[in-house]
Amino acid sequence: MIFLFLTSGLFLGWTLGANDAANVFGSAVGSRMVSFTRAAVIASIFVILGAVLQGAGASETLGRLGSVNAMGGAFTVALAAALTVYFMTRAGLPVSTTQAIVGAIIGWNFFTNNAVDTRALTQIVTTWITGPVLGALFAYALYHLVKITRRRIRTHLLKYESMLRFGLLIAGAFGAYSLGANNIANVMGVFVPSIPLVTTDFGIFTLTGPQQLFFLGAIAIAAGVLTYSRKVMETVGANLLELSSETAFVVVLSQALVLFIFSSSALSGLLVKAGLPPIPLVPVSSTQVVVGSVLGIGLYKGVRNINIKVLGSIASGWITTPVAAGVLAFLLLFFVKNLFGIDVGHSFNPPASTGEGISTATIIRYSIPALLAITAAYLIYLVLSEKKKTERLNKEYYK
Amino acid sequence: MISDTAACCSFLNIFALTNTATQMSLFKRTTRELTVRIDEFFDTIEIGILIFKEGIKAYVNDDGDAFRNHLAKIDDLEGKADRLQRAIENDMIVHSILPQQRSEMVKLLWQLDEIIDTAKKSLNEFYVELPHIPASLAHDFISLAEVSGNAAEELMPAARAFFREPHLVREKLIRVYFFERETDKSAFQMKKKVFHEMNDLSLAEKAHIRYITHHIENISDSAQAAADLLASMAIRQML
Repeated sequence: MIFLFLTSGLFLGWTLGANDAANVFGSAVGSRMVSFTRAAVIASIFVILGAVLQGAGASETLGRLGSVNAMGGAFTVALAAALTVYFMTRAGLPVSTTQAIVGAIIGWNFFTNNAVDTRALTQIVTTWITGPVLGALFAYALYHLVKITRRRIRTHLLKYESMLRFGLLIAGAFGAYSLGANNIANVMGVFVPSIPLVTTDFGIFTLTGPQQLFFLGAIAIAAGVLTYSRKVMETVGANLLELSSETAFVVVLSQALVLFIFSSSALSGLLVKAGLPPIPLVPVSSTQVVVGSVLGIGLYKGVRNINIKVLGSIASGWITTPVAAGVLAFLLLFFVKNLFGIDVGHSFNPPASTGEGISTATIIRYSIPALLAITAAYLIYLVLSEKKKTERLNKEYYK
Repeated sequence: MISDTAACCSFLNIFALTNTATQMSLFKRTTRELTVRIDEFFDTIEIGILIFKEGIKAYVNDDGDAFRNHLAKIDDLEGKADRLQRAIENDMIVHSILPQQRSEMVKLLWQLDEIIDTAKKSLNEFYVELPHIPASLAHDFISLAEVSGNAAEELMPAARAFFREPHLVREKLIRVYFFERETDKSAFQMKKKVFHEMNDLSLAEKAHIRYITHHIENISDSAQAAADLLASMAIRQML
């Protein structure tokens, strides 16, 4: 039953992997600087690492906004967000998973008569604006740095390109790690309060309850990356974001930095220690940070005509996406509760564990290593087939 | 929960294990090989131009052995340039090097190869058609080949600079354009001299000289076309 409820979250994870991996590796793959296989393998590994190791911060903030205390509710909230993303994407409207899930949680709050934590909401909405702005600032500074370095080192173009290619891989890995760390909250955050999993020792590593959920969500993201992101990467990389290798590197790095900042509890703790206000750990839209970064580079290059339409579409997405997801979540919750008689949550503290967690923990205990082994085997297969292809190409030419 | 710092370290370590060794060595090796090939390609064209100039001198000075020697050399060099051009293009495609500039790079290589092709064709035409060069035109012919060759020669530092210091390409190309204009002027003066002043030559001989002159001019024209391409590529690099 638990896996049935998780399907909506896993589906959301799959769509996130299919779409948002393009923000990390799209320009590199679209411009053929990095092969899809290499990008997909790196993205998958680092998304999982980021989600499991650093996914808790942003998830806690979402939990403060609305602690969905029933599995049926969590399922419906994630489904509402996934459907909003799906339909808005099909309609060609700007959409973000982050904003959809926030809207859906607010919809759940309204449905269950829970008060919306305005402080958490303000924090989240503020980061929607500061994310792209920070992306633009980072991109501006990094691009300046890259240009200065290029002039100073006077290296051969091919060597410089190979350095950039390597840099793209590192930045991409960092981007994927940050994407996993920051956006896993969108995928699995709503399930954390309602699925009480116990800390499990897998022999070589130990995972807390939320980490086990994040791992499952990250596997879904990785599946999205491996199965469906190729087309998105190639079209997005080659059309919408036609960037040079230098700009692609800067965009990916600045996006990774922004996502990392908004998901790093250690960095936030350091600021608090220094007497500064903490960084809100909030899931931000990677697409919008990428747009901000591209604008930052545009400003550096002295582009005068900034496309107001692009900025307008981002701003409209801040309103339309949460509203659409909230309304849809409210309607779906109504049907799920009244038509199927499924518990979708209450307006009080979460009920005590019914013991279901123990049996779930057993399932998870065995399914996580199995999933890990399957993913590893698939990644090895991809790498080997790519190597074989290159060898065949070389043989054909030099024959 | 594992702290962010530890998480970050472990992520860097794993990345180092999986990628650093293989990726960097692969990139370095391919890049080094390709850099060497490109330099070798430029060297071949540069030597080809020098051989062309010497070949014309030998023909005009009636030194048959030296001329045939130069002809054989330029033939070899042209073949080598073709092989290098194909190998560079192949490496760029197979290893996806400079993917965004690849079409321009291929075009530039083709344009540079065109210079040595034209030089070889010109010397071959001298060899096959044995044009009669009057003594009064000997100096004009040698200086025409010299300036036309200079235009192509001056292109090579600019092409090399494109890979290291693209901001210097533009100033280096000024000399290419200068020698191209000088070639046009010299060719024009020579043709005018042949048709207006050298009445002792038959119309067929005049037409033949005009034809040969035109071929020598083609070298600087090819250099100019490559220079135009190089200039736009350099501007794009600096953006």
